[in-house]
Amino acid sequence: MIEWIQRRRGLIAGIVAAILFAIWASSQYEPRVLASILLSGLTLGALYFLVTSGLSLIFGLMDVLNFAHGTIFMIGAYIGFTLYANPRLLLNMLPFVLAFVAGWLLARWLPFSSLPTGHRRPLWVVAVLVGVFAVWGFELAPLATTALSSGGRVPTEQAQAPIGIFIARTVGLAIAGLIAGAAFIIGNEHTRQPAPRDLVLSSGLLALAIIIAPLRLNAEGWILALDSNARFLLALVAGASGGAALGGLMEWSLIRPLYSRPIYQVLVTLGLVFVGTELVKGIWGPGGYFMELPAWFSRRGPSCPSPNLIAWLQDNCASIDVLGRPFPSYRIFIIALGIAMFIGIAVLLRYTRLGMIIRAGVQDSEMVQALGINVRRVFTLVFALGAGLAALGGVAAAPFLGISPGLGQEFQLQAFIAVVIGGMGSFTGAAIGALLVGLARAFGDQIVLTGIQLPWMSEAMTFSPSIARASTVLIMALVLLLRPAGLFGKKE
Amino acid sequence: MSDVLLEVDTIHTFIGQFHILEGVSLKVRTGSITALLGRNGAGKTTTLRSIMGLNPPRSGSIRLAGEPINGRPAYNIAQLGVGYVPEHRAVFRDLTVEENLRLAERKRGDLARRSDFIMSLFPDLKRFYRHPGGKLSGGQQQMLAIARALVADNRLLLIDEPSEGLAPIIVEQIVSALRQMSAETTILLVEQNFAMAAQLADEYYILDDGRSVQHGRMADLVHDHATIDKYLGAG
Ligand SMILES: Nc1ncnc2c1ncn2[C@@H]1O[C@H](COP(=O)(O)OP(=O)(O)OP(=O)(O)O)[C@@H](O)[C@H]1O
Ligand SMILES: [Mg+2]
Repeated sequence: MIEWIQRRRGLIAGIVAAILFAIWASSQYEPRVLASILLSGLTLGALYFLVTSGLSLIFGLMDVLNFAHGTIFMIGAYIGFTLYANPRLLLNMLPFVLAFVAGWLLARWLPFSSLPTGHRRPLWVVAVLVGVFAVWGFELAPLATTALSSGGRVPTEQAQAPIGIFIARTVGLAIAGLIAGAAFIIGNEHTRQPAPRDLVLSSGLLALAIIIAPLRLNAEGWILALDSNARFLLALVAGASGGAALGGLMEWSLIRPLYSRPIYQVLVTLGLVFVGTELVKGIWGPGGYFMELPAWFSRRGPSCPSPNLIAWLQDNCASIDVLGRPFPSYRIFIIALGIAMFIGIAVLLRYTRLGMIIRAGVQDSEMVQALGINVRRVFTLVFALGAGLAALGGVAAAPFLGISPGLGQEFQLQAFIAVVIGGMGSFTGAAIGALLVGLARAFGDQIVLTGIQLPWMSEAMTFSPSIARASTVLIMALVLLLRPAGLFGKKE
Repeated sequence: MSDVLLEVDTIHTFIGQFHILEGVSLKVRTGSITALLGRNGAGKTTTLRSIMGLNPPRSGSIRLAGEPINGRPAYNIAQLGVGYVPEHRAVFRDLTVEENLRLAERKRGDLARRSDFIMSLFPDLKRFYRHPGGKLSGGQQQMLAIARALVADNRLLLIDEPSEGLAPIIVEQIVSALRQMSAETTILLVEQNFAMAAQLADEYYILDDGRSVQHGRMADLVHDHATIDKYLGAG
């Protein structure tokens, strides 16, 4: 019995602390205030979870501390927002990206791998030169700003390059991709055999790029003419897939060559924070944006706030009545999104082969390899998955927190704290940690707002705003004292 | 020689900057059990890991059925039909017995096809089919680690010290399982328990200090007390 208590002292201390806190909180606040604090905490917790889940999966499987995870969150927000409010920018960039990838894939199909290795370096240089020449003088800034400042409705044709030049640039980038792809496969012994599907995929992408080019103007109109809900869903999908693509690319190009040098990996991800932030400032400008809520979450009127969740399904009010207090319906959506993703990943981990590989790989990725599974590919996939989740979180956060180049940093720090609390590498831990940090922030904010009323004092005790941020660090310190590996952690 | 399944020719393997294998050569004949012997730290595990592609050798060659496999990634070597049972029974602790086996499938239906054979060798695994690997006893974990290598079609099994730390009665069970397995695949067996190796193996290689120093028929080694004393300690 005593031994049992000693073994579970962390758990018991946690439960006791939670009960004491619950008693204190319910004496301090009326139920409706308490409910909205809890819901705010859940909202933040859901957003943190979208960041911590990927962070923790990536650390668990690959032992990579990805400092750039918050940056991907931020870029996701920008991509989603841009599709939602100013698709022109994306439509003008997409053909370039597609063309480059098409060229790269084509190189795998052509017999370049037999070229002498000496050609490698000069080919890289040529690829870079061709690429730079192709985009030389192409201005993104007017594309990013004009549509927004004009309400997003006026087609400002002058902001877009003439079609002839645009297509020339697209083709130029395809050629750059082809040369870069050739340089990449030279002397790379273990590239797989050229497959016809490379050719099919490559020509498909190139065709898509060329088709989008003349349709840029119209497509912009079509997207903006969609109702805001559809655009919002598209924004979520675009942000998440953009983030996933970036994450996969990042693992493949920068992280993978450095698995034997973990310190360099950390430095690379730290460096990417600055590169990403500057890149975003370069494209979208240093200022912030505000993303409007889609119609589902923005109706106001006599029947609002919606009396309950079911009624909200019909009237789409901006807020929902919770014990007599309005609570923004969009935040309920964020909570639902967080829960859906939690269930989705849990199912993936528990019931799919990929999940089985991930769970096994967390313990011993070498042995997974020895069973004939290409673990490196799974690494890339998990990196993409984690980045996609973070980017999804970014899009979801955009209408709630606004968008600015600094959006990532704050989340990165809090997410790290949450992961450390939950235990590095544990998925349940990531969820619980995110929840705790979210709740701590919400209670902290409330305490800053109203102070704490103690029975023996006539006036409420007040606190400075930094208490909300400090509270999470405090929890982390307490947890680490009791359980050095975090609540659910197995490895240090 | 067509009946040589695995041929390792003067491989040199480094771990970090340490030169661990300084010229190991060996041949494993199809259908045989070949024992790889040597003192602690002689380089037996490193040899298996080199073959498996987990510690690729810096020079020398490794051929499987005549085809060079050194330099290939480990998963690729596994796909060619090489199964690995590592030292210290690296079963996946958080996965159930079933999941551990399922993970080793290379084609759909591998496990279904092989299940009866595996369960006849190790009935315990059936009993604990849905238990996490980490909850099994040491002997059961070793059985699971071996069973995992039997799920896919493997031509060659690399087995590292299967008897380590197990009770004699369990060792008996594993010896009989290995004997049944050898009817259908080739085995390269690292074993410190000389009595066990002597019971099973047809041929032997002895490593000392990262080099192969002697090889021959196991039947001859059993009587060669000088060699046993010199290279295998108080065997
Ligand atoms: N990670 C490492 N770094 C440095 N040296 C190592 C490392 N791993 C193994 N060695 C050294 O390589 C040599 C061979 O090790 P190996 O594990 O192959 O021996 P072994 O024959 O399997 O021994 P045992 O019977 O104890 O399992 C040993 O001297 C060991 O100290
Ligand atoms: Mg060993």
